[in-house]
Amino acid sequence: MKRVLLTIVALGVLAGLAGATVVGFGLYNVSARQGHWPGVTWVLHTTYKQSVRLRSPAASEIPDDLADPDRVALGALHFKDACSFCHAVPGQEQTATAQSLNPGPPHVVEAVSRWEPQQMFWIVREGVKMSGMPYWPARERDDEVWSVVAYLEAVRDLTAQDQAALTGTNPGPASCSACHGENGRSTNSYVPRLDILTPEYIGEALEHYRNGTRRSGIMQQVALGMEDETIDRLAGRFGTDVGATRLETSPQDKETAGYVLANQGTKDVPACSSCHGSNRTADAPISPALAGQSRGFLITQLKLWRDGKRNDGKRAEQMRKAAQDLTDEQIKILAEWYAGQ
Amino acid sequence: MYPIFTIVHRTRRSFLSLGRTALHWCKWTFRRRAWFILPALFLVSACEGRQSVLDPSGADARRLYDLALVLFVGAAVLWLLVGGLFVYVTRINPRAMSRRAAEALIIGGGVIFPVVLLGGLLIYSLPLMSAQRSAPDGMRIHVTAEQWWWRVEYELPDGSRVTSANELRLPVGQRTGLVLNAQNVIHALWIPALGGKADMIPGRETYLSFLPEKVGIFRGQCAEFCGASHALMAFEAVTMTPDAFAEWLDAQAKDALVPETPAAIRGAEVFAREGCGACHTVRGTPATGLVGPDLTHVGGRVSLGAGILGVTIDDFANWLGHTDALKPEVDMPTYDFLSQDDLIALAAYLEGLK
Repeated sequence: MKRVLLTIVALGVLAGLAGATVVGFGLYNVSARQGHWPGVTWVLHTTYKQSVRLRSPAASEIPDDLADPDRVALGALHFKDACSFCHAVPGQEQTATAQSLNPGPPHVVEAVSRWEPQQMFWIVREGVKMSGMPYWPARERDDEVWSVVAYLEAVRDLTAQDQAALTGTNPGPASCSACHGENGRSTNSYVPRLDILTPEYIGEALEHYRNGTRRSGIMQQVALGMEDETIDRLAGRFGTDVGATRLETSPQDKETAGYVLANQGTKDVPACSSCHGSNRTADAPISPALAGQSRGFLITQLKLWRDGKRNDGKRAEQMRKAAQDLTDEQIKILAEWYAGQ
Repeated sequence: MYPIFTIVHRTRRSFLSLGRTALHWCKWTFRRRAWFILPALFLVSACEGRQSVLDPSGADARRLYDLALVLFVGAAVLWLLVGGLFVYVTRINPRAMSRRAAEALIIGGGVIFPVVLLGGLLIYSLPLMSAQRSAPDGMRIHVTAEQWWWRVEYELPDGSRVTSANELRLPVGQRTGLVLNAQNVIHALWIPALGGKADMIPGRETYLSFLPEKVGIFRGQCAEFCGASHALMAFEAVTMTPDAFAEWLDAQAKDALVPETPAAIRGAEVFAREGCGACHTVRGTPATGLVGPDLTHVGGRVSLGAGILGVTIDDFANWLGHTDALKPEVDMPTYDFLSQDDLIALAAYLEGLK
């Protein structure tokens, strides 16, 4: 018995020494060109597939609006900006550089053929270790990840022409107006309109995206490298002062649930208009105007505030507490009412 | 297994030794510890005051006090009787009793005596419970418990309501009814010096009434654990002469005073700019929020923040700048980002809302 134990210990020590030698003297060849020994690729890939299957959320977590064309468009534009370098887009070849990665990133058309939407959600959100696939930069923004998945789901039946219609044919990174619309007048429900925001508010938002106090995988990708001058220039280009006055000029049906909730509130929900609308009597703008803002964007942002996932700006606590008791139904009513103004 | 008599014998022996020990401790205590016990009696003097059941200032509290007195004195007498009997059978006359005497003791002392005594107490005390909910001969006040404050609405004869918060004003000599409710979780209302205590349950009306006998300011407290700031959910109950109360209620029904000092005027602007009206109502202004306490006459109350601060300008500024530190998890956000001038101006405006 003793002899057996001693043998095991000796073998263990030898194995440790051998491992330390390989690591310490650089004996293992990490060359991507060289690739793996036979069988290793299969082990790694099976590990990856099974890990994703085990950890991805239930299919019931898939949002109802995954097929919404606006959502698909938002996902498509971000995909082109951030992901197409490796995965290309339908109708386009992967670059030589992308093809030389090991493990090689699959072409987007090939990639989506293997996974369910909830599994793609997990991969985009979590990334894959040692593969070059990054995790989603903003942990709080599952909604954005789902928008990318919305695009990936649509990719299955996307032609090169469809793709060009979604994201244009310009090879460079997307401009502000690619998502936010001509002059910031977004027609995409999931993308905020900029033309109703003040230059100060846009400048502050970009600054918050840049320094990470406001979280977004999509906007942080864009804002991270911005110079102060760029922020000032963009804020001045898209911002206007028309937003605050819009509510007073539009006809209001005072019987609608949206009007009542937005202007009177309940015992749990303060009236939005006290800070965001025409109820404001003093002139200092402290919060963005909401009249005409995009519906899907408002729903997303109200949920982020309610769930404590947004915390930017000096009045963040005010907005978080104002939204904390909103129900999904109330959020929908408010978003629809403000979007319709 | 021990024969039954051995167990009985041992039990009796251990009781005997217990009795001896107890007697010894009593003698020792009275000889050596008397100077410990006497100062403790002074602690009883802490029982008077504005939040004490032992210093009743309302008819209902007085009834409860009498009940407590009867129960405590009765319990003391019973304790002495049982203790005396115990000492008698173990020390003074430890001989076996006759079967007749033992049976008389068990049936008389163990069945008949408690039934008669407890029955009597029940007959005496049961009506006290419904008395706590007697119908009002004065007005009805609707009190809703929120996290962590009190929404108070005085019902006028025409059915309309005058809204206030965190303070209960009651006329002396009239029975005022309290219709109780709660917004989110269970609370309980208790003003020890004035009367009984009642649960406040979301979605269900409960009822309590008070007949105050003295003019004064008494402290009430939420008496059911309701979350992080439960201990900071108090209020003042102000009892007034009927004339003073009527005058006060008239003033409460009026719109807020228009700010006059430069600081208060600026404070009103800050109030509007910062959207305070989303949660608070100041009658006579565009502020019509229902989430938080009505502030129309907040400066005229005796306390701020549901009984935790006074109502000076400093108190208001302190509250506005440190809500979460003063009352953990409160729904009211902190306004620590306001400039000191704005903060003081806002405080001056609120303090002026008499």
